[in-house]
Amino acid sequence: MLNNPKSDFEIELDRMDQGIAELEDSAWNLPIDRVKITKLAYLQYQRAALTGNLAELTVADNSLDYAIEHLGRDGDLYFLKANIHFKLHRLDDVGLDLEASADLRQSPPGRALKADLDFQQGRYNAARDEYERLIEEERSWDALARLAYFNFKMGDFGEADRLYDEAVDELTAKEMRHYAWVELQRGVVDLTRGDYEKTREHYQRAERAYSGHWLVDEHLAELLGATGESDEAAATYQRVIARVPRPDFQQALGELYLSMGKNAEAKDCLASAETAFIESAERGEVHYYHHLADLYADVFENGAEAVKWAQKDLNLRRNFSTLAAMAWALYRAGEFSKALELMNESLASGVKDARLFYQAGMIHKAFSPNGKAHNYLRMAAAINPNYENFHVHR
Amino acid sequence: MADHNDPNAVNSIFSDIDVSAADLYDFFGFPSADTDGGEKVVMALTFASVPKAGVFDTDMLYRMQISADPRVAGPSDDEHTLKGLLRYFEALKERYLGPSKAAEIRVTVDQNQQATVKFIDFPGGSFATTLETNQVRTIQTPDGHSIKAYIGGRDDAFFNDLTGFFRSINYAPQFYHVPHTMTSARELKIPKTLLELEGNHLFNFDPNDPEWGYHGNKRELPPGPLTWNGDKFFKDANGNYRFVYSGRDCQAGINVNAIILEIPLAFITKSPDRDRIVNCWGESWVLKAANKIETIPDHPFWLEHPWALIDAIKLDAELKKYKLVDTDGQPFADAALSEREDNRQLGANNFWLAPHFIKRLAHLGWGFGPSISALGLQTSFDHDNSPVSVHKTYSLVTKAFPRAKKTLFQRLNMPDDSWNPKGLNIPLRRPFEIFVPNVCAIDMDTTGTWPYGRRLEDQVATRFLSMFLDHTAELNGKKYHVELLNDQALWDAAPIEPKTVPNPQKNDKEFLTDFPYLAEPW
Repeated sequence: MLNNPKSDFEIELDRMDQGIAELEDSAWNLPIDRVKITKLAYLQYQRAALTGNLAELTVADNSLDYAIEHLGRDGDLYFLKANIHFKLHRLDDVGLDLEASADLRQSPPGRALKADLDFQQGRYNAARDEYERLIEEERSWDALARLAYFNFKMGDFGEADRLYDEAVDELTAKEMRHYAWVELQRGVVDLTRGDYEKTREHYQRAERAYSGHWLVDEHLAELLGATGESDEAAATYQRVIARVPRPDFQQALGELYLSMGKNAEAKDCLASAETAFIESAERGEVHYYHHLADLYADVFENGAEAVKWAQKDLNLRRNFSTLAAMAWALYRAGEFSKALELMNESLASGVKDARLFYQAGMIHKAFSPNGKAHNYLRMAAAINPNYENFHVHR
Repeated sequence: MADHNDPNAVNSIFSDIDVSAADLYDFFGFPSADTDGGEKVVMALTFASVPKAGVFDTDMLYRMQISADPRVAGPSDDEHTLKGLLRYFEALKERYLGPSKAAEIRVTVDQNQQATVKFIDFPGGSFATTLETNQVRTIQTPDGHSIKAYIGGRDDAFFNDLTGFFRSINYAPQFYHVPHTMTSARELKIPKTLLELEGNHLFNFDPNDPEWGYHGNKRELPPGPLTWNGDKFFKDANGNYRFVYSGRDCQAGINVNAIILEIPLAFITKSPDRDRIVNCWGESWVLKAANKIETIPDHPFWLEHPWALIDAIKLDAELKKYKLVDTDGQPFADAALSEREDNRQLGANNFWLAPHFIKRLAHLGWGFGPSISALGLQTSFDHDNSPVSVHKTYSLVTKAFPRAKKTLFQRLNMPDDSWNPKGLNIPLRRPFEIFVPNVCAIDMDTTGTWPYGRRLEDQVATRFLSMFLDHTAELNGKKYHVELLNDQALWDAAPIEPKTVPNPQKNDKEFLTDFPYLAEPW
């Protein structure tokens, strides 16, 4: 009997596990070997990123702390640490990590991460300028993808497409996971425009490029939900959750069930997600604040709780996304005037997003019959005629 | 989880892949001794044996470009000006970017390790064939020529003290684990030199750790400024300098993968009597990710009609599926004469970097020139009689040019007349002609020894250093020449330790007398 060939995901995971196993004992020996401990932490980080298991990031972070304790301010170690903190939304820590090493600060990867930080903290011009400088120095796929994402968020879809095209053109057969990732981003761009066919093409290409990745399934599940293929979407989410039991995916499945009228199933999923989000916050983690704000605002329609979590997220990073989340939470809480104030601040960023315009429209509608609500709703529909379809909170 | 962008770039800088099948090592080219049926030229492109010797990476495309031209003179001896030199580079630009397109050979290897070889734009047309790898095969061309071909694993034909070279340029990654994010710590800002600098603890030979810098034996980068503040060369108790080179062969026991061809000159040009210079260079291309997933099996047409002409097929479309990674023409054109990574991709088009080449040559001259003077030899570089090597960089080519002028324009003497067996009036080559454009220019009226091509047995690393010697000077009644530094007697008499030629004088394995010439792999 023939065995099923391993997927690209499994092959890479095996390779990482093998690398970790080879290093796990010797890397901790004193005097510490910088190369070994850095490689171990890198593999642990990479494994956490690949599997989507955020708890594993702590393992990598512990390795880094140990290494830094013995080796001091090493740029590579702090770069990895900054990436971990970024994934966990600990943005102040990202800033401190980048400050720890002058080499890191001046290196292209360090500068790119600083620009990402600027973007997250609402310094849009600084982010764009640095992305452009990095591209001028070297047209690397990741710098191009970063600027593409910036343009996508600012509503310049044509430029985003062009930059993603160029990023894809830089990627070789030796970088198929990166290629698949870029294809997923391109799918998200098309999804937010309501172009489901193109989205599907991108996601299918991602799967062909790098087989067996849950991240592709997770994106596909959202698409299936948006196109009304709800049963298949739910089944896909269930498969993803079986592999990566994260509460944000439970939330997505719960919201999908709600859209299908399966309230009992939805309740279970959403309760489970809520519990996990709260437990995470109680552990001092901050990366689910955004989801908690969304969950309470959009699903439970609990304005007070939504405001509480949105405020915590806003305290961490004041950007169009957290401002909009706060505005939406205030809307749910009936505080329309404050909601409008924050929504206007979010819109002033220049971001053009159907969901954002929809929320702006609804807030205006509640605040006063000044006609702006209609304009915003029309703008939302212009970007994505299907903006009210199922979507997840990315 | 995240509502932010995450291009996984962390994975790009911590890449696990140290050696890639795209890493080109050397391009050899010389006239074949076998002239039965007409003159032939031997070309060999060598590259990293990844995944292993004799097994090829199926995502790669290798390209050898070939352009046969008449021998032409560069700027005359009375045109030794920056303006004249830049005019020469401009003329090259026209030639290489103009309509006279080079012919080319493309090689890809499929999953079954069958090589597809495409000959494109040769005078007799274009055609393709498939070959077994690791076997000597003869290809019959549509116009009746026979081409010998070998595509497979061999012993690395390059022999040199790479560690010594890296010590001479204070190249930290050869000696230290340099963090990925420490992008400025490559060539440290310490004078380049042939003689150790007193107090240069970052790079000087350590008798207690003689293997340091060899075979991946590295140290942690020490804290503190990565500089040198001394003012003299190191001398031992006997008053001898310490050589940065050891004469060891760092390539010993290393294999490569290679594409080796022996091609009739009459296949390359319709005018073999006129076109005596065969300019050639190699390129490595890697399949783009997007094309990896769209890949279809090799076109069955090739398999069924291997001799068919392929003029009708747009091969540019094929190349668009690949990304250029590396180029190779002249030895040391990028390793020594450029610190810019993107130069790896310029190949024959490196005239774009001609001003940079001049500035880089002057930078090296300030390092190697004083070392040569300290040994009592004459240097071609104007270093104002500096008693020690100097770390100096130039932002203006006009400032660098006067210093490097003689180095650029001097004619490099050969040790004897054996390179020119026909005794023709062939001008001695000059460094600016050798390195720009970055091609292996094989003179079919010579033996093809460097710089008239590159023979396997040429010690090119040592010949490269001879550029910094003053070739108008004499030693023991004989003009300096490209082999002077490869003469053991010179070092025996020099105030230096160890008393060795800089690089090994021969390969670790004997070359073969017949095709494919490169030795069997280890």
